Order: sequence, then structure tokens, then C-alpha cells
Amino acid sequence: MAQAKKAKAAKPADKVDYEGNPLPDLPDLSWMGNTFQWGTKALPERYGGGLTLAALNIGIYGDIPEHIPHRNRLPRGAVPVISAGNIGGYYIQDKYEQWADSSPYLYEEGISRRWSTATDIPWETGRGLSDDVEVAIAQVATELSNWGSVESEVVSAWLQNLSPGYHEVKYYLSTAVYDSARIEEGYRKRALLNGAGMMLESPGRMNRACLESYGSWSNTVLFMWILRGSLMQAIVRYLSVYGPTEADRELAFRILPDIMRKSAYACDHIRFAISKKPELITTFNAGLTVAEFAQLSDFNDPVLWEALAIIFGDGVENMDEGMKIVLELQQHFLETYISKCSQANLGREAQIKSGAWAGILMGVPMTGHATPDEMRAQVAAIMQKNSGKK
Amino acid sequence: MATKSKANTAAPNTFEQLLDYGKNNGYKLDWLQQRETFGDELDAPSNGGGLLLQDVDSGPFAEVPEWTNNVTGRPRGALTRPSAARIGKYGIRTKADVWLKNGAQLYEEAVQRQWSSATDIPWNELEELPDEIEQAECQLATFLTEVEFVAGDVPGRWISETSPDYYEPRMFLISQIMDEARHADVFRKRALANGGGLLQQNSSAALAGASIDSARDFTEMSARLHISGEGLVLSIFRMGERMAYNNAEKAIYRLAASDESRHVAFGVMHLQYVSQTDPERTEEIHSYLDEIELGLVAGTGGQNPAVRGTPSNAAIMTLLGGGTDEASLREGEQIAGAVRQRQVKEYIQRIKVAGFGDRFTNGRAAAGLTEYISA
Ligand SMILES: [Fe+2]
Ligand SMILES: [Fe+2]
Repeated sequence: MAQAKKAKAAKPADKVDYEGNPLPDLPDLSWMGNTFQWGTKALPERYGGGLTLAALNIGIYGDIPEHIPHRNRLPRGAVPVISAGNIGGYYIQDKYEQWADSSPYLYEEGISRRWSTATDIPWETGRGLSDDVEVAIAQVATELSNWGSVESEVVSAWLQNLSPGYHEVKYYLSTAVYDSARIEEGYRKRALLNGAGMMLESPGRMNRACLESYGSWSNTVLFMWILRGSLMQAIVRYLSVYGPTEADRELAFRILPDIMRKSAYACDHIRFAISKKPELITTFNAGLTVAEFAQLSDFNDPVLWEALAIIFGDGVENMDEGMKIVLELQQHFLETYISKCSQANLGREAQIKSGAWAGILMGVPMTGHATPDEMRAQVAAIMQKNSGKK
Repeated sequence: MATKSKANTAAPNTFEQLLDYGKNNGYKLDWLQQRETFGDELDAPSNGGGLLLQDVDSGPFAEVPEWTNNVTGRPRGALTRPSAARIGKYGIRTKADVWLKNGAQLYEEAVQRQWSSATDIPWNELEELPDEIEQAECQLATFLTEVEFVAGDVPGRWISETSPDYYEPRMFLISQIMDEARHADVFRKRALANGGGLLQQNSSAALAGASIDSARDFTEMSARLHISGEGLVLSIFRMGERMAYNNAEKAIYRLAASDESRHVAFGVMHLQYVSQTDPERTEEIHSYLDEIELGLVAGTGGQNPAVRGTPSNAAIMTLLGGGTDEASLREGEQIAGAVRQRQVKEYIQRIKVAGFGDRFTNGRAAAGLTEYISA
């Protein structure tokens, strides 16, 4: 910019601020140099990974405090202005309440794996099923779409309460709510693909548990991404193998890593929370006992299991065979759940293996078709048979 | 866009036979039924655009009720269960309160245009800048990384307030949360990537009342956020070519502007829907715009980086003028004045599109607006 041109710039008329006070003729530059750390040079990855969020955590910008004293949007490491005051929300101010070391990595991972249900699924392959299987896949799609919708409601509502000081968590959760929305719309597209449409709504007891978990974000994470998440993961994993069309398998296959990232955050966060406050083990276990009850209640509704059995058995006439795979799926869910709980440093194995869920692990599916007495009798018969074998 | 290209393969009695077979074998199957759209195949996408959300719904699934009693959170058009709990605490159960005509399109567009702040910005092209320029970049980036949290967290609050019968605007707002995380992230990255650092917080972040955070009505929030706040920021981003000192900064402003224009479009299209379908609200909306214009002229609200007397404005002047000596600052101020003019012009255009343009001819609009345009 030529000096001559600059000199020609006219001196502006007297300026006032919005209250009419005169403003200085030239701008106040006292903010210059007002920093906690200058000379910061975060570097891009060497081999094409770009400049990642984790790479920014150098010097004071990598100091992640145990508590954020401000209830406003102060970026971590910026110089606070005392007069900035509080904004409603942002009361989750402690690190143990939300943190997971993996969040900046999960955020970048979520973005690098971005995909679209519109263009990345071979929808044209999702044709030609028999009517009963088509209705069944629409029923399962309705349930999964419903779960995705509830997840996005739950997570997006929490964002206003989570302190921006732990921005890595907030950014990751923004990708997670977007992933949940993709489950919602991806399965809506599937249900409508051949006109079967949205079928019966979810029995909803576990949806309710997720929505009612507002006592702490950690409880939400436990209910939604460790307990319910294990079931969702099991169903989607089975659909990625046993889905009736290539479109169904591909949709599930694409969604699976999205679910796994939530699970990774969840286990990491709960483990971190417990490492800071070991007494939370009791709180978390008590919460899970209640949430498992809600999950049990949904298990005793036959709709989802019948639909899956029709899909796995390739038709109503083969539902008995399909139910065998449903049992495998239920067992896979419990094994996944137990393993996630132990990753998170919460031992739930003893409770699961001795409680109402135990029958599933022994080979009796829980699908709402048998009464508790009938299921107990089935379990007893299996135990007797097993002891006879020995 | 459904076509009836597939006749039902099973005659009803065959389907009933299957049901009987299942029921005789101990299954309930009371949910297994063909709905009225059964067999309507969605057109296979042939133009490469894929299977888009706006083309999916038909029949009962496409019926967006003017008022909804869906408080169980079921997907729109799903069959109800008498035993379902009323778990949705939805304040928004009236279509006009949240609707716009092209919500699904805007969502799909957002999905197609996702980008990565890690790999889509040529970070290697950052080069050392004079200290006062780096300071100005970092102050503006500090401001932006802070206010981008507003545009993610506030829409987040409204998603769970909205019945899933209006899932299209919800989906769009979710895509906005994703976009804003990336914006907050990319400006933090800019501040910490070139030998600088974060500078000071935006001092007016917590002005009480008439702020985006405190709005109690979705339409008012959207006017404050999408039309006013993001509109102002969009005008700044569009000046990116002139503020940027390298290709990395140019890419940041260009990509952020493309997201921001979607967010602004959402607000304009929603307001337009209100103006077309809910004329009873006209006067109320005008009164919101009165307040917004006061902010536009006077610089209240804390969301406009171009407002005089703020560190972010001084930073913009420094960047536009090329330095902190008096001549540079004067030149920067002139260009910044042009940015403010542009902000006002674009605001007026948006309000006209939204259907409230009469305020600019009937003397209702803030007097200062015309001064900006004629200056
Ligand atoms: Fe933004
Ligand atoms: Fe935005």
C-alpha cells in the first residue's frame, strides 16, 4: 500500500460510541501485547494430516485446568476481561465432569471420515425384498431413526451447559450430534426407500432414561453411549453383516465407526471422571442399575426383535432361525456392554451375570414372548442339561 | 419423489397368511402391516446428487402439521403406541414457529459442503508477518473463536425444544452446530499457528437482554442470530480477500463464508415463512427488527467485530490498512467504513427478501441505516 495513497485518506468526522461519548480519533491499541503467551507456533502434521486440534495444545494453551472459573465463552488461554460477566448456562465447569483425553483426536477423526447418506449409499441396491422383510427393515429403521433423534436432542441440549474452556469436548460433541442426526435421516431414507415408511414408534423407556439423565453429563454418557450405545452398536454391526440388501449393509457399515467414536469418548470420559473422583463409581453404578431397568423394559417389547428375526431369517416363515441370530445379537450386546464398562473402570460383569440379564448369556433370549416364569424354566432346563453333560 | 413402480408382490391374503403363520408360531406381529405408501419406490438418483432428504417423504410422512401433538419424540408419520411416555418437552409445536420452505435442502447442502480445518486450509502457506499484523490477526481470531460458540450452543438449546414433526429445521440446526465448531476451531488454529497467540476476550460478551442467548422465542432468536449476528460476520468474511495476508487466511474466510451464508439463509427463509403464513406476528417481528437495527447502527450486542471502539474493529482496521501507523489506520478505517456500509446494505436486502422491506420505505427503519448507505 503506497504511502502517497495513505496520506490522501481524509480524517473522519468526530466519532461517538453508541452512548454518544466521543471515541478516540485513532483506535485504542492497548490490546496489543495483551496475551499470556506469544510466539506460539503449532505445526501441521508432517505427512498430510494437516493442522490438528491436538497440535494446538502447546505451552499455556495445553494447560487444561481442573476448573474453569468463568461462566462465559472465554477461549481457553485468552486474556479474560473482568467485565465480561456470566452468560446463562456453562455450569459444567469442572474437568472431571466432561473431559476425555481422546476428544481432540475424535473430533478430527469425525471430520476426516465425513460422509453423506445421499451419495455414499448404493440405494439402488435396496430393492426387491419380500414384503415381510421390507416392512421389517422399515420397523428397525424407524427404531434406529428414533434413537438417533433422541440422541441429537440430548447432546445438543447439553452443549449450552458445557464450559467452552474445554473446547475439545464441545467440538467433538458437535461432530457427535451431527453423526446422530445422520442416523436419524439415514434410516428415515431407508424406511421410505420402497414406501414401507416409518412404522411403530419406539417403546421409549430407554429414550426416556437418556432424556431424564440431566443430573450430570456423565450419567447421560453412561446411559446413552455405554448402555444404549452397546445395543445400538450390536444391532448396527449385525445389520452390516446380515442386512438384507447391499444398501442396508453399507448404511450400517458406514454408521458403525460413528457409534464407535461415541463409545470411545464415553469410556475415556467415565474412566477419567473416576480417576479424579473414585467415589463416582458408586454413583455411576447406581445410575446404571436404574438405566438397565429401562433397557430391560424395552427388551420385553417384541416388536424390534420380531423385525430383526424376520430380517435375519429372511422372512416370517424362517423367524425361528432368525431368533437364533437375535439371541447372538443380544449376547453380543451384553458382552460389549460389560467390556465397555470395564474399559471405563466400572465393573458391571457380576451384576449382569447374576441379574435379570443372565438368562440371555445362558442362551435364553429376552424378546417379550415368554413370561418371566417361562424364562426361568428355560434357564433351569439349560443348567440341568449342562450339569448332565459334565 | 416417489413413483409407484413396484406392484405389491404379495396379495393381501398372502401377507395375511404370513401373519397367521407367525402368530400360530408364538409371535405377535401386530406391527407387521403395509402402510398406504407401501411399494412406492423412491426414484433411483440418476443425476449424481444422491437420495436427498427433501425427496424422501410422501403420504403421511410428508404431512407437516400446523400444530403437533407429537410429544413422544416419534419420527414424523410413525405409528403411535398408546403406552409411549411423553418425553419430549417441546416448546415448539407450531409449524410457523420454526419452519422454512427449504430446510431439508439446506441440510443436504451443509452435508455436501463439510470441510476440514486440519486439511483444507493450506497451513504451510502461512508466513511470518510484521508483529502488528500478527497481533491484529490474532485479536480478530480471538474474537471470532469466542463468538462462534454462540452460534453453536444457542441453536443447540432449541433443537430439543422442537418437536421432531419439524425435523427438517432441526437437522439444519444440527448441521449448523457442526459448522460452528469448525469455525471456532479454525480461528483458534489461526491464532496459534503463526508465532502469535490468543489475545484478549471480547469485553461485551455478556450484555444482558436482547441478546442471542436470552431470546425466549425461536423466531426472535433466529432474527438476532441468523440475520443480525451471522449476517454481520458474513459481511466481514466476504472481505476476507482484503483482510487476508496469505492463502491460508483466504481459505479460512472463503470456507467460513460459504457456511455462514447457509446459516443466514436459514434465518431469512424462516422469517419469510413467518411473514407469509403468520401475518399476526408482523408488528411483533418489526419490533424485533427495531432493536436489531439499533444494534446495527450503535454497535450494541457485542457480536459485530466491525463496531468502532472495540479491539476487533481496531484489528480489522490494522489488517485492512496494513499497519498501525496513522496513515495505515486511516486507510484501514475508510475500508472498514465500507465494510459497515456493506453490512447495512446486505441487512436491508435480507429483510426485504424476508418480507419486511416496507420498513425501509415507510420511515420505520432506524435513521442511522440510511446514513450508512449514503455516507
Ligand atoms: Fe460461524
Ligand atoms: Fe454461522
